[in-house]
Amino acid sequence: MNTTLNSLPETKPVRSRFRNTIGKYTIKRNSSCIACGKCAELCPHGVHIKPDHYSAPFRPVEHNCIGFACKDTDHYCIEHCPEEAMTLKENPLLETMGDYRWTPDMLLGHFAMAETGDLPHVDLEYSLGNSGGGFDKMRFKKPDPGLALDLADERMDTSIDLNKTGDGRPLKTISIPCYGGGMSYGSTALSVIVGRARAAKRLNSLTCTGEGGYPPEFLPYKDHVITQVATGLFGVREETIQNCPVMEFKYAQGAKPGLGGHLLGEKVTEAVAKMRETVVGRPLFSPFPFHSVYSVEDHKKHVDWMKEINHKVLCSVKVSTPTDVDMVAVGAYYAGAHIIHIDGSYGGTGAAPDIAKKNIAMPIEYAIPKVHRFLVEEGARDKITLIASGGIRNAMDVAKAIALGADGCVIGTADLVAVECVRCGNCESGRGCARGIATTDPELGYMIDEAYVEQRLVNMYMAWRKQWCRLLRSFGLTSIKELRGRSDLLVHLDYLDEEERKQYQNSPGYKMVL
Amino acid sequence: MKRNTDILIKNILASRGRIPHLETPVNKCDEEGGCGVTGFMASIPIAGRHIYEPSVQMHNRGNGKGGGIAAVGLSASDLNIPRDVLEDHYLLQVAYIDDTAIAQVEASHVLPHFDIYKSEKTPTIGDYTSIGLEVKPPEVWRYFVRVKPGVLDPFIRFNGLYEMDKRKAEDEFVFQNSIRLNQAYYASLGEKKAFVLSHARNVMILKVVGYAEQATQYYCLEDFRAHGWIAHQRYPTRGRLWHPGGAHPFSGMHEALVHNGDFANYHAVSEYLNQHNIFPQFLTDTETSVLLLDLYNRVFGYPLEYIIEALAPTTEYDFDRLSPEKQQVYRYIQSQHMNGSPDGPWFFIIARNDPYRDLLQLIGITDTAMLRPQVFALQERDEVQIGLVCSEKQAIDATLQSIAAEDKRFCPIADKYWNARGGSSTDGGAFTFTLKDAGKGDGSKTLITQNKFGETVTIPEGQRHFDPSLDISGSVEDPTYAKKVTAFFEAKDKTGLGQFCISEFAALGFKKIKGICHTVETLAAQNDDQKAMAIDLLTLLNDRAFPTGDKKRSSLLQILRDSLTRIFAASPAIGEKRNSRYAYIDRATREDLRAPMENETILVVNAKAFEPEGEDCDSRMINKAYRLCWKQYICYGYKGQRFTGCGFGADSDGVRFDVYDSSGDYMASGMDGMEIHVHGNAQDQLGQIMKRGKFVVHGDVGQTFMYGAKGGEVYILGNAAGRPLINATGKPRVVINGTCLDYLAESFMAGDPLNGGGFVIVNGIAFDEAGKVMDLPMPYPGSNLFSLASGGAIYLRDPDSKIVEEHLNGGMFAEVAEADWNLILPYLEENERLFGISIEKDLLTVNGKTLPFQKVYRKVMPKQK
Repeated sequence: MNTTLNSLPETKPVRSRFRNTIGKYTIKRNSSCIACGKCAELCPHGVHIKPDHYSAPFRPVEHNCIGFACKDTDHYCIEHCPEEAMTLKENPLLETMGDYRWTPDMLLGHFAMAETGDLPHVDLEYSLGNSGGGFDKMRFKKPDPGLALDLADERMDTSIDLNKTGDGRPLKTISIPCYGGGMSYGSTALSVIVGRARAAKRLNSLTCTGEGGYPPEFLPYKDHVITQVATGLFGVREETIQNCPVMEFKYAQGAKPGLGGHLLGEKVTEAVAKMRETVVGRPLFSPFPFHSVYSVEDHKKHVDWMKEINHKVLCSVKVSTPTDVDMVAVGAYYAGAHIIHIDGSYGGTGAAPDIAKKNIAMPIEYAIPKVHRFLVEEGARDKITLIASGGIRNAMDVAKAIALGADGCVIGTADLVAVECVRCGNCESGRGCARGIATTDPELGYMIDEAYVEQRLVNMYMAWRKQWCRLLRSFGLTSIKELRGRSDLLVHLDYLDEEERKQYQNSPGYKMVL
Repeated sequence: MKRNTDILIKNILASRGRIPHLETPVNKCDEEGGCGVTGFMASIPIAGRHIYEPSVQMHNRGNGKGGGIAAVGLSASDLNIPRDVLEDHYLLQVAYIDDTAIAQVEASHVLPHFDIYKSEKTPTIGDYTSIGLEVKPPEVWRYFVRVKPGVLDPFIRFNGLYEMDKRKAEDEFVFQNSIRLNQAYYASLGEKKAFVLSHARNVMILKVVGYAEQATQYYCLEDFRAHGWIAHQRYPTRGRLWHPGGAHPFSGMHEALVHNGDFANYHAVSEYLNQHNIFPQFLTDTETSVLLLDLYNRVFGYPLEYIIEALAPTTEYDFDRLSPEKQQVYRYIQSQHMNGSPDGPWFFIIARNDPYRDLLQLIGITDTAMLRPQVFALQERDEVQIGLVCSEKQAIDATLQSIAAEDKRFCPIADKYWNARGGSSTDGGAFTFTLKDAGKGDGSKTLITQNKFGETVTIPEGQRHFDPSLDISGSVEDPTYAKKVTAFFEAKDKTGLGQFCISEFAALGFKKIKGICHTVETLAAQNDDQKAMAIDLLTLLNDRAFPTGDKKRSSLLQILRDSLTRIFAASPAIGEKRNSRYAYIDRATREDLRAPMENETILVVNAKAFEPEGEDCDSRMINKAYRLCWKQYICYGYKGQRFTGCGFGADSDGVRFDVYDSSGDYMASGMDGMEIHVHGNAQDQLGQIMKRGKFVVHGDVGQTFMYGAKGGEVYILGNAAGRPLINATGKPRVVINGTCLDYLAESFMAGDPLNGGGFVIVNGIAFDEAGKVMDLPMPYPGSNLFSLASGGAIYLRDPDSKIVEEHLNGGMFAEVAEADWNLILPYLEENERLFGISIEKDLLTVNGKTLPFQKVYRKVMPKQK
């Protein structure tokens, strides 16, 4: 169980790319400041910095400020400032940020984790959104204190196995119960996807090419790359399937079942067109479904094909969550898949049309137990890895998904949030991602570099790991594998009576209607 | 008259409404994938064991969780009953999942209603596990019955079916009685006890939780004879099944239907049936399909053409091409039935008995979008005819080989293979093999093949099959020919020899040709140079269309391929070292695989015993051989093995495959640099994502050919089925000499052909019986050409401008400029070299006149933004 012990990557602080960071609070120093340096002397959070020989302190690093909670301490700068030059307010920007699922608190919390590799010290609710349903209504039960273990994080096992079939193909274990979802060359800046691959290597996890082809920049990390074979087959060649330990068939996305991928003409720059071997500036549609797969038996043939191209590759099958997702999953299992990846309805970036995103597939928290139970009944559960995705936002979502019956999760949006995506939802607006992430514009793409992406992601996942370890310990578990299917550890607030419900934390900013 | 029909329909449906039933759940009980389907209809009764081989070869289209077979036109003597009993009595077959229910079921649903001529337990082998079955098949009792007059008359009276032919009313009683039985003992119970397998006259259905051929084994049908057989390998996604209730075939009244596919609108179809008081009980697509068919057939009284139209409507440009009269009728049918017509991928094979017209029929119908693979084939000679329809061509070949091995009147190669074009104005997407009395007064039957519109499919008359059983003298070489052939070999004049054979073969008899082949084989055994020349010669004769005189080409091919097989098999085995360029390997000797030694260059792979996929497939073995530096492969003996040429990775330049016999799906997919020559027809999903290299098919290719391809130089002698080159990018350069069913180069994104991009040349030609090139009636029969394409071009040989704007959706016509012609000319020249299709005499000559290229070829390119 300590196999992961030595492979845990090191966390390192990585500062924000932006001069002005976003904090939960704004703290301003007005012109009556006499540059005495008192605030810098006091503040243990690094909000106020005045290096020696500088005549005045820097502009406050607002996102480190713990706000009004500081009042009760002996270092509350507002009160200690001899000139009363400081004002503290809640940041009004937060009202315009995020959405019900990704609340501003959750965004800022993940910025902080990605920056420090630790859990935020600011009072941010980063585990719950206020969507009013789904994971936001689920809580882990209060554990029996007698169960708690005293075990260091290093001795906890958060790894999962990707090949349980016993079919003679290589075993593959990843150190965290997550890997990166498909983001294609062309949908995000090259440095973002390569940075994700670098992080995957350090975390002993995986990243996925998406359907835009396999850029040569991935080759140094090829043991940590999933080659996606999607319906457009863009950039898929035998060698790209040979340069990966796992390949993924993307049949559908939970955000837009029944629709194929769509890359706007604007984003089809010369480099993208070259990778996909298409025409510059023309939009690219992937069909739905595979033209060669209209049935399970075609699917089996498809899987067999991949297995002939790469004799060691593991096959993952990504499907959305229609009402018969359990049948689809078991069909995929019998066809020889190693991983069944179900993608629920909350996922998708701004590029998926809202009408599809919000109305078609089944929410992932319904789909996971349905599939899990069906696989158990079929006696197949321990022979296939069940991966969930589509709106898994944070460490606790991952843990809840696992408790519902998944083995692990695929993460997309949170990776982008780690590199400071603010979820403005304008991914589809041609090349113009304001944060330089979802863009193929050469100028905007330079806003971000691989090393930054790599370390930010390592930091975030290591912070997540801390949360998982804490949770497992509290229930007396030593491995995340033991959490799988333990839906008995979960409660749903709607099914508790009022008294019971009071024991659990409410969603932030959400008024519960009883 | 119309009024009476209306009332009768209402009365029939009302009578069905009185059958107690449960509310039909809106969901299917199991998801099931497509499947493997196969069927044949022959003019003479054929033993059940011949459905065995094609079924086995389609194991990978099912998962062993459901298999079934049906037979029509049964042999009365094999059932030990008089012929008239077979024809007049209903063969009611009840499957008892719980054999303690037999007495109960008989007492409630059999004995009270029927006069029983004979009832017996269908014989079975003793131990089901001995044939690999995991679930004990149900005990099946068969009853040869007529409805008691004292039961039928009140039934007619009570339900007001006076207008109905009395015999048809009896059919209806049998039908309704089975529904009642199923409701009582199957649909309403958690623990299911019994269900009706079939109740038709002269039709038998049996199914097991297992593979289809296991049904023939378990129920002792291997020697049982019938004119028509169909089989189905099911692929239910649910793993634990304990009875075969959901397996195919399903029956309405006098038919058995198997289905490959999956309805997207199962709910809507069920709803439509419910509105007509028909309530599905087995909750699968297939059951609803056959119920629809039965509704149209027996209740509405539609002719077959209208039934097919109701199931697979004619749409788009094909509709415009119908005659105004037909359009009017079809419009009515569509307005009535479009909402109940099955949507999504499906392909039906139906075997039925039409006792009122004394016909037996085998019908294959594809959905309008042709989303499932399907191949039809026909073999005709004076004494015997056989029509076949299957999911894969290899299964057709397997059936014919199996039959021909026992009955020399059959040839292992069909005279004609073709695909149906779904919902089309040309063939309607359906073909029917109808067996009717030959009119000779001896009870012999004759087979007629028709499309949806009743147009017959024929094989040229006056040509003979080769009958090896009459070949009593062994092969005797004609000394003059032997001498001539030897002279060519000595002079190493390959071209001359080829031309000599082609010109002589028209007039020579089968025996002389066999003699020549024998000479060639003897010469091939002498040294490697002669062996290479022999292989080249026989391959050329196998590939080229040339006049065969009064001989059937299929028989000629059989002789040539047998010869080739013997030459291949005579190569020194890999285990032994002899000084040869060739080394032979098969499944038994695959462990002996080693790197080529000395002058060895060609690995001769006998694929026959290899698995179609997985650890023990030939593709895996060949991959190992490639890593050991083998570069050239002759692969033969294929029976559907998949993935030939896959897994070589990038830059496989210098590798060459020559593929013979029934090659399988996904060949050449992903190839990047190598060369593959297929000497015969090929199957589905070829050349997917192929990047570079040369791919030559001396025949037809199947569905989704070159899906997502990025490049490569490709030459197809015949036709492509549906959706070739869909989503292709990069620079594929393709010559298709025949045509495609539909959706050619949809979403084509292959840049600018004049600037390094890709294109497809469609010549729209075929070969007539004399091996001469002729124009197809339409260079492109489909309604969608180059839809939504953003790059590349189609060069279409369309001298009469038959293709119009309506075919295009996002594309436009353009003049073929000098630059275009210079671009495609080298490919047409290579095409000429490979297939002997002359640019000047064949392609640019129209109605005997040679025209400039601009008048013959048209360019289709993407509309500018």
